Amino acid sequence: MAAANDDEILEGFLCPICKADLKSASQLTSHFESLHSEEQDVLKSLKDIFGKAKKIILNNDDNDLKETFDRALKLNYQEQAYYHSQEQVVGVSRSSTDYFKAVRSARLERYATETNKLLIRLDKLVCNMPTDQNMRKQHEQEVVPWLDGSSVKLCPNCAKAFNITRRKHHCRLCGSILCHDCSVFLDLNIARAIVDPSAPKSTEQQDPETLEKTGLRLCEHCYNLVELRKQVQDSRNAKTVLVTAYEQMRSLMEQARPAVAMYEKMCQSLFDGETTYNLTDVNAMRGRIGKLAEGIDLLSKQIAAHPADPGTRQARLQNAIRQAAAHYIKEDLLSLRKLPTEAQIEEVRRQRYERAERQIQAERQRMEREAATQAAGPSAPSDNHQDDDDDPLLEQMNIIRGYIKEARKELRFEEVAILEANLKELKKEYQFQKLSSKS
Amino acid sequence: MNVIQAVKMYITKMTEESGPGMKVILMDKETTSIISMVFSQSEILQKEVYLFERIDNLSKWDNMKHMKCIVFVRPTSENIALLSRELRQPKYGVYFIYFSNVISKSDVKTLAECDEQETVREVHEVFADYLAVDRHLFSFNIVGCMHGRSWNQNHLQRCSQGLLALLLSLKRRAVIRYDAASDGCARLAERLRDLLRREAALVDNNVPLTGDVPTPIVLILDRMDDPVTPLLNQWTYQAMVHELLTINNNRVSLAHAPDVPKDFREVVLSSEQDEFYAKNLYSNFGEIGQTMKLLMDEFQKKAKSHQKVETIEDMKNFVETYPLFKKMSGTVTRHVTVVGELSSMVAKHNLLDVSELEQEIACQSDHAKHLQRIKALLGTESVRHHDALKLVLLYALRYHAHASSALPALLDALNARGCPEPKRVLLALELAAARTRSEDLFRMMNPQNITKRLFKGLNGVENIYTQHTPLLKDTLEDLIKGKLRENLYPTLGGDDSGYGRRPQDIIVFMVGGATYEEALSVHQINQAYPGVRVVLGGTTIHNSTSFFEEVKSAMQGVHRTHTRHIKNV
Ligand SMILES: [Zn+2]
Ligand SMILES: [Zn+2]
Ligand SMILES: [Zn+2]
Repeated sequence: MAAANDDEILEGFLCPICKADLKSASQLTSHFESLHSEEQDVLKSLKDIFGKAKKIILNNDDNDLKETFDRALKLNYQEQAYYHSQEQVVGVSRSSTDYFKAVRSARLERYATETNKLLIRLDKLVCNMPTDQNMRKQHEQEVVPWLDGSSVKLCPNCAKAFNITRRKHHCRLCGSILCHDCSVFLDLNIARAIVDPSAPKSTEQQDPETLEKTGLRLCEHCYNLVELRKQVQDSRNAKTVLVTAYEQMRSLMEQARPAVAMYEKMCQSLFDGETTYNLTDVNAMRGRIGKLAEGIDLLSKQIAAHPADPGTRQARLQNAIRQAAAHYIKEDLLSLRKLPTEAQIEEVRRQRYERAERQIQAERQRMEREAATQAAGPSAPSDNHQDDDDDPLLEQMNIIRGYIKEARKELRFEEVAILEANLKELKKEYQFQKLSSKS
Repeated sequence: MNVIQAVKMYITKMTEESGPGMKVILMDKETTSIISMVFSQSEILQKEVYLFERIDNLSKWDNMKHMKCIVFVRPTSENIALLSRELRQPKYGVYFIYFSNVISKSDVKTLAECDEQETVREVHEVFADYLAVDRHLFSFNIVGCMHGRSWNQNHLQRCSQGLLALLLSLKRRAVIRYDAASDGCARLAERLRDLLRREAALVDNNVPLTGDVPTPIVLILDRMDDPVTPLLNQWTYQAMVHELLTINNNRVSLAHAPDVPKDFREVVLSSEQDEFYAKNLYSNFGEIGQTMKLLMDEFQKKAKSHQKVETIEDMKNFVETYPLFKKMSGTVTRHVTVVGELSSMVAKHNLLDVSELEQEIACQSDHAKHLQRIKALLGTESVRHHDALKLVLLYALRYHAHASSALPALLDALNARGCPEPKRVLLALELAAARTRSEDLFRMMNPQNITKRLFKGLNGVENIYTQHTPLLKDTLEDLIKGKLRENLYPTLGGDDSGYGRRPQDIIVFMVGGATYEEALSVHQINQAYPGVRVVLGGTTIHNSTSFFEEVKSAMQGVHRTHTRHIKNV
């Protein structure tokens, strides 16, 4: 069964110069120091390698300790059962959402008609607004007739008397009368953006003086309705760089979850001595999780570095996202169980193989015994031996092997598992065919 | 009937209903505690909740429209006002509102009228309206529920609402039984019955009928029926930490202790997040020392170290010299710190002697011997005033009617050693004496049955007596066996068809506060009677310090009658 490789790989503590097998790391080091001391560079790298090896050994020791801690600190199975035995359903809750929304929509409908009326007027006002002051005034009054103010003595809003210094003004949206102090001014650019959300937004803020000259004079009531409309619009379009980065990060986390589960499954399969996956597969999977972790790390750092005034909610939010991501990476992505070594895998596979061999052996002996009791008739030597290459089963198996190779390359390990299972079935069938053709 | 699980499931539901996205949770002072009792910050962070805001924090307005806001508040009028304000000028994109108890239609209407920007998606009532301390223990964090012998009305309301919520969160119907000798218990029982009647539709629509199973029982008891339990020094881990260091919402402050590492100025002790704690909650002090020592021995073997680890002090040094140990066992380090602090207090204040005498007074009657030993301890400088006060009170509770009672002399001795407010002894005595069944205060134990339990283990810890068991344990056992007398503990509300049958689900609530020693008794009962599930609650969880506060509040403005003759304070 063991296929002989062309170039045999030597194993053990071999001297890189004279290829002598020295049996242990310390012997190799001393051999090297005494016999090849002129090759200082090699010596140094050798020491480095042993240093690393030592670290790995120590790490294993850590694992051991971790088990000790777990045993002492974590609940054992029995205690766990006591803690989590009772199944429990989520408690009673009651929704008032329907009632809430009924009240809200009744109220908002009134607002909505009023707001719509104002928006239509606003649209007419800003569209074709003349730049000339007198023409503009005329245009404004054509859209919204102004209230006749001759009999009005007091500002309806603040109840102060009109006189030479406190003159009468009109709200451009409802035409009502008000004093200057009670007026609010709406930037024309903003007004345009409200009636046409697709229009390019200017972000520059006008200073109060220019605003009073060029903006639309409004009463507080009209201003609030229009402003509300603007806020609703803004929040709809508020998908910022930050949100995009966050969504990307979460999507990586979504991908990582099944990847980790797959890795654990593959790892277990290796430890169980199955041949569905090989060490390279599992390493590739580990690499992929590492990549995802890197991506999450990078995006969360970007989020944390996003400009925000220190101490604000925004700054706290960004830090918290980073903290959560770091915790997630550490707990879920970097605490993956260690892969077995080639030697360990060889060992379990060998054990598994031996078990299987023994079973086959026992089966064969049983069959032979049965055959012997069935009065050994002359068994005709079968001559219909098929040529291996023409067997359709073999061909199929080769095709599947090709698929497996491809799926492996693209890290589609779910598929690998299915294909491997198929392959196993085919092998079984092929063997069965061979057996039956022999007998 | 796991109250921690019940609250956790509600909170998980809230975070899930709002779907994916960055979330903030807006809470009031009480709901902040409710959540922090069951979830650590890092657990909540993994549910995409990144900001924790208080609804009463009126800081600068920020535009955070990219966030989803989960509101979780109690349905108080202040919260409705604050929330209306928030909805008129919403900081966040969308709102999911959860009230921790029943909310009136008119309050929902008020809020709906403020939501002009249509940011609210959901409005719900969930019933996570209590502090889940352990899986079978809850509290409302109220010290001083009585004011001058009758309920503070706010507290009465809070407790009745909280008990209603508890039943709804566990999906249980209930009949109410209460201690007829206690006015406070009767008031609460009536109030709870009224609430259950008012919310009958809520219960009927959501809680399945019990069928053949006996209806769960809410048993309302009075702390002053057993004033002894909160006075005793404790030796099980959780109870001991609370008595000596005070646990506040699962947090223990070690800031006052000398040379405590900076990371451990405040430690969180939560059986949900700390398996060592969950495992050792009810272990006694000596056992915990043993566990830690074993752990370190094993570590030493692995680390090939030969440092001597015998005492708690050695442990602290050891932990410091082994960063690896420190790193891998944040939990152990935390507990080594706590146990270290406890052990130094035990040594410094003669707590072994004090505790031994406390236990003897609580369980045996021997006036002359007890008096002599109290006098000796009062004369010992290292005994704290607080312990001196407790000893005199225990003496007073047992012997105040004794022919040769030396209470006035002992009060003089307290005065002489400079103990603040010795009068507290009389206040507590007065309150206890006003109870009808005060002869049951001390539960006589057969002296032959008293066993000295030997603590093996660390140097310095010797024999500790743990003879006393709380009255609650007997009361519960009577109830379970169907022997709790109906005339002493009458039934209110529901049908009492279950009378005389073994109840399965029991919720005990102690007006005036429960203790961790009683929580231990409930734990033992849950294990000893399969099929019976008991949950314990109290207006608060007392240690002896907060118990004296409770007494003081209850005696506010009350004239002493039973102890009128004692004048020297
Ligand atoms: Zn060599
Ligand atoms: Zn005005
Ligand atoms: Zn107007």
